[in-house]
Amino acid sequence: MGVMRINVGPIHPSTHGVLRLIVDVDGDTVKSVEPRIGFLHRGVEKLMENRMYMQSPSYTEKLDYVAPMAWDDLFVSSVEKAIGIEVKERAKYARTILLEFQRIASHLLWLGTFVNDNGQLFTLFMWAFRERAEVLKLLEDVSGSRMFYVNWRLGGLQRELPADFKKRAYALCDYLQQHISEYPDLLDSNPVFLERTRGVGVLSKSDAITYGASGPVLRGSGVAEDTRQSEPYYVYDKVTFRVPIGSKGDCYDRYRVRYEEMLQSIRIIRQALDLMPDTGDMIGMPIRLIGPNAKPDPVMVRRELPRGEGIIYMIPDKQRPYRIYLRSPAFANLSLLGRMSVNCKFADLFPVLGSIDIVLAEVDR
Amino acid sequence: MPEQQPYTPEQFLNAEKEMDRLLQDSAKRYKTPVNAVFAKLSDLTKLTARDFVKWGRSNSLWPMQFGLACCAMELLDFGSARIDAERKGYLLFRGTPRQTDVMIVAGWVTKSMVPRVKRMYEQMAKPNYVIAYGECATSGGPWWESYNIIQGIDQVLPVDVYVAGCPPKPENLFTALMKLQDKISGKTAGDTEPSVSENIRRTEDSRV
Repeated sequence: MGVMRINVGPIHPSTHGVLRLIVDVDGDTVKSVEPRIGFLHRGVEKLMENRMYMQSPSYTEKLDYVAPMAWDDLFVSSVEKAIGIEVKERAKYARTILLEFQRIASHLLWLGTFVNDNGQLFTLFMWAFRERAEVLKLLEDVSGSRMFYVNWRLGGLQRELPADFKKRAYALCDYLQQHISEYPDLLDSNPVFLERTRGVGVLSKSDAITYGASGPVLRGSGVAEDTRQSEPYYVYDKVTFRVPIGSKGDCYDRYRVRYEEMLQSIRIIRQALDLMPDTGDMIGMPIRLIGPNAKPDPVMVRRELPRGEGIIYMIPDKQRPYRIYLRSPAFANLSLLGRMSVNCKFADLFPVLGSIDIVLAEVDR
Repeated sequence: MPEQQPYTPEQFLNAEKEMDRLLQDSAKRYKTPVNAVFAKLSDLTKLTARDFVKWGRSNSLWPMQFGLACCAMELLDFGSARIDAERKGYLLFRGTPRQTDVMIVAGWVTKSMVPRVKRMYEQMAKPNYVIAYGECATSGGPWWESYNIIQGIDQVLPVDVYVAGCPPKPENLFTALMKLQDKISGKTAGDTEPSVSENIRRTEDSRV
């Protein structure tokens, strides 16, 4: 049979957003995949150059709408570095805890949709969303909003944590630990799931490094690189945790890495809650019409986002960035789709795409 | 009984007059205004049928599985267990526009997406309804001055319900769908008129 060219998307129920794929198939086998992006482009970097520093978090949050707090943290940290503000001690703990909760919520959403892609319809989706709702409830009580929080301020947070935060966070950790431990019963002992993920979408170690992959995609291929350990920020150097890595680099390994990361996040949260002082200031600077001036030296900040390593390179002006560049992990990871899905079946294309965990708003910017 | 002769062309052209003549004849014979009875019956049937259709339409609103940006996350949550949407007839999200009644525009619409969204709208089964979900679909939201988006989906499509919020909670979507139900079934004041989409479709040719 000859090679046939198929167009998928940009509006398609399983492309995880508005992504267009040009797929060449020979019979049922995928020969090449070409992602076409840009359907959500709105020029974030240009818009941010015309805003005061603390007006921009509401833009950066909408880059990665599955884990908005992570990008928020990345941007506010780069502004703190440019201005030269130290984060308050107690706020460091609070930020670590909130970021890890956000990571769990993001991975839960990924897991629910990934299992859906694999044909196990809606059981685990409902379970994952049940747990995610509990996490979002806590984050809503902390920040006042369910999805877009904007509670990062220079040097701290917007407001004090709720009085019963520690108690609730411990209880939520127990709840998550108990329920997340139930997932492997449904997945790891399920022959259909194993058949569809093991040996599918294999990514070699050298490819992952060459293409600049990061996050769970890189770690699934066996590279133990995690910014939280290689360049610790906040209190990640005071807590102990393991960086899970895969061995083969297939979809199953990427699932396993994200699953283990959720358990490690719970471990980090528990330790940080133990270490967190009960008293002390954690409220950052309020947003003013004119904030403190930044130094003109370029700054670069790296953070481990749920999807991989995010970098902001910024040349600051006094009140607003002169130039800003956002390095999104999903963009680099998406470029690997062609390598991963060569010679897999057409039905496996979407699980492979799902296993990368892309967010199109972050890819297109 | 004599055999019916085939109608002549003149009789075809004068069929209306012929009908009137027949009705008047029968009215003379039976001493009742037959055409009035027919009109009453026809009105009654139309009314009952319209109410029945309204009831059916408003109680089986099928949304389209169609997310653009951030607000699609809340659509996922809308479909999960916390909000049991099926109890009001908002069944499973359908993957094809041909099986759906409601298009929920969730997210900002870029210039390259406009023709595609429009085509999706045209593919839907008529009558169809549009909900602008969130700030971006309502007015452009935080990106209103960006060079690559349009300031609200109502510049391209007729919108029935707007939902405010960034993003609105899934509960708000539930309320919006209930409002749309009221609108279709004629419970709210806006519903003495047909849906916005029905109005617009009549003048579709004159639109851009």
